[in-house]
Amino acid sequence: MKDQHIIGILEGGPLARLSEGELAAARAHAEGCAECRRAFDAARVSAALLRERAAERVEPSPFFQTRVLAALRERLAEEETPSLRRLWRAAGALVSSMAAAVALLAVFTFVAPNLGLAPADDGQVAATAPDYYSTDAALFGPAETADAEVDYDQVFRAVYASAESEDVNE
Amino acid sequence: MEQAGDLELARLARGGDESAFAEIVRRHSPRVFRVASRFFRQRERVEEAAQEVFLKAFTQLDSFEGRGSFEGWLTRIATNTCLNLLRAAGRRPELTVSDLTEDEGAWLDNQLSGAAAARHEAAERGRVAADLAGRVLDTMSADDRLVLTLVDGEELPVKEVAEMTGWSESKVKVQAFRARRRMREAVEKLLQFGGKR
Repeated sequence: MKDQHIIGILEGGPLARLSEGELAAARAHAEGCAECRRAFDAARVSAALLRERAAERVEPSPFFQTRVLAALRERLAEEETPSLRRLWRAAGALVSSMAAAVALLAVFTFVAPNLGLAPADDGQVAATAPDYYSTDAALFGPAETADAEVDYDQVFRAVYASAESEDVNE
Repeated sequence: MEQAGDLELARLARGGDESAFAEIVRRHSPRVFRVASRFFRQRERVEEAAQEVFLKAFTQLDSFEGRGSFEGWLTRIATNTCLNLLRAAGRRPELTVSDLTEDEGAWLDNQLSGAAAARHEAAERGRVAADLAGRVLDTMSADDRLVLTLVDGEELPVKEVAEMTGWSESKVKVQAFRARRRMREAVEKLLQFGGKR
């Protein structure tokens, strides 16, 4: 009970704010109680340590103002950099799609003709490529006309036969 | 610029006037350093903390509406910034008597015996005590350190500490009560084992 009373006084507020009466009572109690004596001594030393600590001061150096302004400029520059990155990311999709379109056009222009993927547009290629729109192809089909030499007698006979059969049907 | 009031300087700085902000830094550096000194002891760390305070203040200039004093507004930012820096730094392990220097041990002995230390000048004794106080405080939480330094060290009124920290007055009192106990117990251990050296 007595210990709690002393400890209550010691922990209730700063030791320096205790009145003379409170301090004398605490000191008197501590004389007859080893535990309270230790607590009182520790509280006294703690107060002295904190007082010395509070008395310490660090003053600003003459270069502090310059240092803060330099740091501020640096930080503002750092904050601007991410906004440029955001802008680049937003434009990135557009730039990528444009690059893809250009690449695709380049493939169709320079690579596809050599692979026979596009319609022929010059004489040399036309001579070797099958002509799906010729009369031969229409009459005999592309498979027959592609590799075999055309017999024009067969063509005439087929034409007349077809005309005669139309007359009979009429 | 030196004639301008804080509110005017804040308005100009907000608009991008660097010289206005430079004047704010010049005018309020001593106050910010005083706050940062409560948390940190090494000059380099105090300067870093003070710089961070001003950079934070710059980004928060919009929130200063001129209702209270600029100094009070800046002190709150300084206190909270330093508290966060201290929290991030964490705390050191418990200080034992074997960690004490010879001077620190002698200072404790002198405190117990009540005798004036003859071997050192007062300034030197003060430095030893401040070093030891810093080492003991380093083992405590940031909140404990703050409240002990302000309430017990500087003997500031609870109301003022509450305004600086943004805590309620009852929180300051409870925090101080508990911190005082923890500090007393830590010192008691040093004294107890120090006496057996």
